[in-house]
Amino acid sequence: MASAAVAGHSNMKSSHLASLTPQWMNSEVLTGTSIMAVEFDGGVVVGADSRTSMGTYVSNRVTDKLTRVTDRIYCCRSGSAADTQAIADIVSSHMEILEVKLGEPPLVQVAANTFKEICYNYRDMLMAGIIVAGWDKSKGGQVYTIPLGGMMVRQPIAIGGSGSTYVWGHIDAAYQPNMNQEETVDFVRKTLTLALTRDGSSGGVVRVAVITKDGVDRRVFLHNELPEFYQG
Amino acid sequence: MSILNYNGGCVVAMKGKNCVAIACDLRFGVQSQTITTDFERVFELGPQLYIGLPGLATDTQTVYQRLQFRIKMYEMREGRRMKPQTLMAMAQNLLYERRFGPYFVEPVIAGLHPSTKEPYICALDLIGCPCEPADFVVSGTCSESLYGMCETTWREDMEPEDLFECISQSLVNAFDRDALSGWGAVVHIIEHDKVTTRYLKCRQD
Repeated sequence: MASAAVAGHSNMKSSHLASLTPQWMNSEVLTGTSIMAVEFDGGVVVGADSRTSMGTYVSNRVTDKLTRVTDRIYCCRSGSAADTQAIADIVSSHMEILEVKLGEPPLVQVAANTFKEICYNYRDMLMAGIIVAGWDKSKGGQVYTIPLGGMMVRQPIAIGGSGSTYVWGHIDAAYQPNMNQEETVDFVRKTLTLALTRDGSSGGVVRVAVITKDGVDRRVFLHNELPEFYQG
Repeated sequence: MSILNYNGGCVVAMKGKNCVAIACDLRFGVQSQTITTDFERVFELGPQLYIGLPGLATDTQTVYQRLQFRIKMYEMREGRRMKPQTLMAMAQNLLYERRFGPYFVEPVIAGLHPSTKEPYICALDLIGCPCEPADFVVSGTCSESLYGMCETTWREDMEPEDLFECISQSLVNAFDRDALSGWGAVVHIIEHDKVTTRYLKCRQD
């Protein structure tokens, strides 16, 4: 089972003076996070929380972790913010060149494979857990997950980030194939709410993007628009 | 991760006009995982005497229980209620007894003198060094954010209603920037004749 749990950790500078400065000044910026993507007939729904942390300090509470690769391909980023931003930029520029050469939008599988090549070949230097999702005319809506280490596999539903550990059971129990678009958006919203309630490294708003042949529909769910569950 | 950041949590106390306020968040977690959202870390030790114990949760419970015991023995022997300054000295002694294997809590005390009703706040570090400022004290995993919030919002001689607004906003906006604190808050406003306790429903993330 593809596992993409990323726990936040800090890169302490190797100096005794590091203890005199607040923890957030010596911590790499991470998106310990909750991300997911689900295929449905006609496209995909991608979703993520919006918390970026430096150590335990929340440096951005409205982050956009759903990054455009092409007009119909998005990726969800978890792990090191710097690593995933750099990789997404590189893949996006490759896809732009490819679109000119092919004369048509690139396939989701090609974008996912490009992500995989970078994540696998530089696996010792990177900390990146990425979910690639989009629509193309050959296979419709597709979701590919690329966890730490750089394997790539297509799945109808993929979850990732540190918050995903809390919702594996929920998706096993609640996911049904052949949901329509609105049911899928609702399922993503519910799953991410459960994850960000339990995970300290996830929080903020729930961002969702629906990708179909007609384009990308982006939505934001604020905390008062999220479902309420049992508070243990 | 430092031991003081293992469970997460924060406490703030402020002085007002003939009143004090003390507030804490309600999260209990193990590093990034949230376990419950009803873990209070501010305890009543007397009719107008409260202590907040942010830090390692097991030591929160133990220090509270040991202090309660010492206070009850004091009240039995002395036949009178303890004043806040004495509680500070008692907490200082309890913590310094463990100088080389300390309790991982950094207490915050808020209360009114039993007879003069003079407001009093203080904070101690984990080995008992006290600090008695005139305005507010903060402690916990988001103390830097709390310092910033309190510094900008606190004014001298606030009435109880204003003090409630001030301490609530300071606490909530500070722990919204901390991954290890939040998930609800409780605020106690301590006046000479009553204590008002309010639970704040906040964003659960």
